[in-house]
Amino acid sequence: MRNFSSGFKNLAKSITLFTFFIFSLPTLVCAQATAVDTSKAATSTASTAPSGDAAAGEALFKANCTSCHALNKRVLGPALAGVNNRHSEAWLLKWIKNAPAMVASGDKEALKIYNEYNQAAMTPFPQFSDDDVKNILAYIKVEGDKATAAPTAVTGTTASATDTGYSNYMIFGLIAVVIVAFLVILLLNKVIGTLERLLLKTDNAGIALLEDEQSEDENTQSKDKLYIVKKLVKNKKLVFFVVLCGVLTLGSFGWMDLWNTGVQTGYQPVQPIKFSHQLHAGTNQIKCQYCHSSAWKSKHASIPSANVCMNCHKYVQATEKYNGEISPEIKKIYAALDYNPETQKYGENTRPIEWIRIHNLPDLAYFNHSQHVKVAGIECQKCHGPIQEMAEVYQYSPLTMKWCINCHRVTEVNSKGNAYYDKVLAAHEKIKKGEKVTAAVLGGLECGKCHY
Amino acid sequence: MDSTKKYWKGLHERNNASEFVESNKHEFAEALPIEDVLEGAGLSAPTPRRDFLKTMGFGLGAVSLAACTVAPTKKSVPYLIKPEEVTSGIPNYYASSYKGASILVKTREGRPIKVEGNPACTINSGSLDAQAQASVLDLYDTAKLKTPLLNGVEHPWEDIDAYAKAGLTKAQAAGKTIAIVTSTVNSPSTKAVIAAFAAKYPATKHVAYDAISYSGIINANKNSFGKAVLPQYKFNKANVIVSFGADFLGSWISPLQYTKQYVSNRNAASLKSKKMSRHIQFETGLSLTGTKADSRIALKPSEESIALVNLYAELSGQATSAKLSNAIAEKAIKLVAKELSAAKGAALVVSGSNDEHTQILVNAINSLLGSYGTTIDLDNPSYQYTGNEADFMALVTQMKAGSVGAVLFLDSNPAYNYCDAKGFTDALAKVATKISFSDKNDETASLCDAVAINHNYLEAWGDSNPVEGYYSIIQPTINPVYNSRQAEESLLLWSDSTVKDYYTFVKANWEATVLPLAGKTWNDVLQLGFVSLPAKVTSPITLSGDVNATIAIVISESKKMTAAIELHLYNSVALGDGKQGNNPFLQELPDGVSKVTWDNYAALNPKYAQKLGISEFDLVTLKSDTYAIDLPVLFQPGQAHETVSVALGYGRQKVGKVGDGVGKNAYPFLATNGAVTITKIEGYYELAQTQTHHSFEGRDIIREATFAEYLENPAHGSGNHGEKHKTYDLWKKFEQPGHNWVMAIDLNACTGCGACIVACNAENNVPVVGKDEVVRRREMHWIRIDRYYSYNEENKSITEEKEIGEIEGKMENVSVVHQPMMCQHCEHAPCETVCPVLATVHSSEGINHMAYNRCVGTRYCANNCPYKVRRFNWFNYWNDSRFDNYLNNEFTQLALNPDVTTRFRGVMEKCSMCVQRIQAGKLKAKIEKTTLKDGDVKMACQQTCPANAIIFGDANDPQSEVSKALTDERVYYVLEELNVQPGVGYMTKITNTGLHEA
Repeated sequence: MRNFSSGFKNLAKSITLFTFFIFSLPTLVCAQATAVDTSKAATSTASTAPSGDAAAGEALFKANCTSCHALNKRVLGPALAGVNNRHSEAWLLKWIKNAPAMVASGDKEALKIYNEYNQAAMTPFPQFSDDDVKNILAYIKVEGDKATAAPTAVTGTTASATDTGYSNYMIFGLIAVVIVAFLVILLLNKVIGTLERLLLKTDNAGIALLEDEQSEDENTQSKDKLYIVKKLVKNKKLVFFVVLCGVLTLGSFGWMDLWNTGVQTGYQPVQPIKFSHQLHAGTNQIKCQYCHSSAWKSKHASIPSANVCMNCHKYVQATEKYNGEISPEIKKIYAALDYNPETQKYGENTRPIEWIRIHNLPDLAYFNHSQHVKVAGIECQKCHGPIQEMAEVYQYSPLTMKWCINCHRVTEVNSKGNAYYDKVLAAHEKIKKGEKVTAAVLGGLECGKCHY
Repeated sequence: MDSTKKYWKGLHERNNASEFVESNKHEFAEALPIEDVLEGAGLSAPTPRRDFLKTMGFGLGAVSLAACTVAPTKKSVPYLIKPEEVTSGIPNYYASSYKGASILVKTREGRPIKVEGNPACTINSGSLDAQAQASVLDLYDTAKLKTPLLNGVEHPWEDIDAYAKAGLTKAQAAGKTIAIVTSTVNSPSTKAVIAAFAAKYPATKHVAYDAISYSGIINANKNSFGKAVLPQYKFNKANVIVSFGADFLGSWISPLQYTKQYVSNRNAASLKSKKMSRHIQFETGLSLTGTKADSRIALKPSEESIALVNLYAELSGQATSAKLSNAIAEKAIKLVAKELSAAKGAALVVSGSNDEHTQILVNAINSLLGSYGTTIDLDNPSYQYTGNEADFMALVTQMKAGSVGAVLFLDSNPAYNYCDAKGFTDALAKVATKISFSDKNDETASLCDAVAINHNYLEAWGDSNPVEGYYSIIQPTINPVYNSRQAEESLLLWSDSTVKDYYTFVKANWEATVLPLAGKTWNDVLQLGFVSLPAKVTSPITLSGDVNATIAIVISESKKMTAAIELHLYNSVALGDGKQGNNPFLQELPDGVSKVTWDNYAALNPKYAQKLGISEFDLVTLKSDTYAIDLPVLFQPGQAHETVSVALGYGRQKVGKVGDGVGKNAYPFLATNGAVTITKIEGYYELAQTQTHHSFEGRDIIREATFAEYLENPAHGSGNHGEKHKTYDLWKKFEQPGHNWVMAIDLNACTGCGACIVACNAENNVPVVGKDEVVRRREMHWIRIDRYYSYNEENKSITEEKEIGEIEGKMENVSVVHQPMMCQHCEHAPCETVCPVLATVHSSEGINHMAYNRCVGTRYCANNCPYKVRRFNWFNYWNDSRFDNYLNNEFTQLALNPDVTTRFRGVMEKCSMCVQRIQAGKLKAKIEKTTLKDGDVKMACQQTCPANAIIFGDANDPQSEVSKALTDERVYYVLEELNVQPGVGYMTKITNTGLHEA
């Protein structure tokens, strides 16, 4: 009878799950549909045709202008969208080709801009032909128009999202499903209860008989089974073998586990800023030492100070990914430095960034980056793994002493052209003719080289 | 080897006292309860089996539980805007100065961690004394005030300024004196600030007062030559040096400078050129200088001046009525006079007395010897001590009379170190405005209304002019840690100066005065740290004044001083005047002679003490007519009979956790003429000596020869007699093909000053353990300086009983050898073979490594070390409330060297031969792709040694200084006969023979 009721319960469960899917499906479909709609709307608004060669202008713009200008944002220089309307084309031609000269000549418009932007003169571009400048202006016009159209589209998306109530819809649906399921279960339980009672009342004796017969059958069977088990238990060789196997498996697992105590390979904590090495070192091909500059000269590779980030992120704000807003992650750098991207001023209210340390060597082990990076010329990836592919950094190497030593055993000393090694190796070669000079040969396995 | 001398480290050892012999057999001071455990069966034992099992079970459980926790998250916080000059992990060095001498301050990530001498400096040539080495800990002193105080309550600076200005204006208006009490000020900028202050407040009076005064010499020079200055002494130009109680190698005026000069005539190079100076010391207590003397004569303080009178009489051919009571001294004076007159023009007589008349007599003697212009330079004087206690006494009288309206204390603490502290305190109460510039609420500051806390010198701008023609700069190496303000800046503010910023003031002052003279720019000075102008030409001088009249005064003064028991006050080498009383490095630095730490004591000659019925460590009351203190007795061989020596600089009351109540204040005794009574009182007080620890059981470890013997055969006494007996090795030879780091130590140069110990402490994070632990023989110093007393045995075959009889007569006339002892980095190290876990092993560069994380603390290695240089960590000294006087707080921990592990409880440690410096030196060479040159890597002890007694280098480089030094005939290895093949060679001590041969 129990079997019956439990089976029924399983059924109830699957029904609830099914209803859940039924309810959630439309919401998903709806959300997708609205997204498609908005994207369509965005493309359709970009309508006005370019007057110059915007394509040629784009190349020039990206090569020459982006270090100081953006279309819709003030960077070092003003936002350029709409510049065609603010100034005459003739003035712009003159200005772009040689801005400092115009400032010097006392041109009013020029002086106004000069003073507004902290008296930083714009780089002159005498190499541009009039056509070049016109192309750039055409590009700015086209893109500028697009950009002015885009914000409305963007607000449209967000509005539609709130209208359809993507998240709210889900929540309401879920709540409804839960309530319905609960009611169904309650109902079914009631039904089961009444059915059981009815059955017990009518077939009481018959069921008892059945159960007895079944138990007798089982008893005979279990006697046979126990007999076999007893026989096996009495076989001492077998018992010994089983116990041995058990001990060996448990022991070896335990042993391996113990060896890995404190080994944190794969440790990947959540960092306060979602900095991606994949993007910086991988896609953008920035050299490791650009940021970790002290790896060349010091024992620490050092997490770069925020001012190093600002070398690029004063302009690089990833606005294109965040609908014209500054990336929230980059904003965290600004927040740490109390930097206002609008006024480009640093405030007093700074807050250091507290990164989570991933590679934790114990204090008792001395490790020096410069010895490995500068002297030995080892790639960062040798120990830190495919860092250029890590969106979030994790510990790649075990950082155990065994790992250090194994490498010291096989790695040849990078002694070429190093006068220090010339002298040391000259002494060594007297005894070690023709043998590979590894770090170990030069004492790289001695305790006091790393523990002091 | 063939020396007839017997050496001993302590009187216990010398007398072979039975308890000493017994305790000496054991490695550790406390007996292990092995017997109890073996005999006391079952539950009756102190640790019953069940308890043991319970503890074990609990321990295992706790350990497994602890192992289950997730590894703690560690934060890594980079700079927001990294200063351009800072690279984390790489030290920066800034040129600054300490007590005038140019130093380099090593900073890591913006915090100073070590102070080293500036190698270019003409005063210290790169070396430093113990106090300067320890000074970095003063910056991280937890007793420092965090904000200024007004009436004992923390107040912002505005309140202090308002109070000060009101008080000063009031005093000025009332026509009362405004006194600025300082210790010696030789800083041109501080002087200019005080001048500016005096311009604003014309009633200002600047009184310079030093705890340890040299006004006697200054006044004597004024009297004799019309020049009120402290001269510069040239010990390097003197062939015969006679000192009357002047501890010029330990504490007298400028020991660092004098050690350099003195040793230059006695070191290996000088000996090779067959030259060695003669040094005769007449003194009461055994000083560091006395231990280095070729001949030393113990004298009562009252007789020192009589001896000078006799010497003058001998030299001038006059007769004198004053006779010495001591026949040996009388004979010695005659011989000394002969030697001095033979060395005219290259002789030097100095006296440690602060009595003007005695110093006039010394001037007369030096004039007779033609020392002026050769060994004494009056035209390029020293400004290290310019204080005058007479001025201060006058001020106190004025204060008492109520004619002082305001008093400011800068770097001055008379409530502690003025001889009449009570009188001063009473007088101070009558002053309306009292301001102290102390950085802590010390004895004087706590009596003041306002404490305008000053920067530590490592946070401050400043300059100094310690000797004529030498100017050094002080530049900050860290931002002010607390809300302190430079005293000079406060003075400038209060005098409404147009320049409010002391940096601008110093810079302008230098640009106006010093820089044009030197032809240097301000940036040059910041980089170099000092400016040295050519010395002025010395002019001939004539002695004026009536010497005979002086002699009469000296004799009558001496008669006044004569007493049954005469008190001799001296400066300890470690603590000096007591200003750094809260410095644990200095408190734990063993005294150069007595090896006592953490206390001062009454030093008595053992024989004389027996006569008085006093035994060692008995408590006695020293009583003069005005002051009395209770001190423990120390038996000091070499001490003059009927005298007692007590160190100044102890007994601070308000200096901080470390120094409060350590020892007794002896300054008030300065007010008396030195007559004291000694009464034994109830009680026993064990002094924490490092002296008798780790005994060598009379093995042949000190080797010496006389200069005459050396000239005959340079190897004399060193045990190097050509052929050595054949040795057999159990092990294969361990090759050192790359580098082979070794050391050579010149026993003739070492003065035992202890600078190396403190330098090693600071470099290697060596913990300070405190008095109780030192008593338990648990001091952690990686390098120690063993001091061996000896005397000549005429008869080689005397028996032990006779030897003791011999001591009786010779307790006054002992000679001393200092032997720096650290891990010898043996080729066949006995410690290595007994370590069950291979925690200590040999490197291919000749160093005995110690892997702390591998050590399980069996202490077998310490037991098996013939040199007893291994140290066991009984506690986590940096994280244990019992050691609150040192590192047990995050602030002081900033002084730790981040390149050296702090050792955990239960592991062994020992001298690593500054392996972090070796590794850093090698890495630098590798990065620059050059060879490692001799001298690129220096040990902390070697670097700071004022005597250059320690030479370190690569023995595989035949051109290195150490290779050359180790080929010296004087070189021997301690306990060479064990065939442990130590890596540290010692050079025999050479004595320029006794007086009888002169």
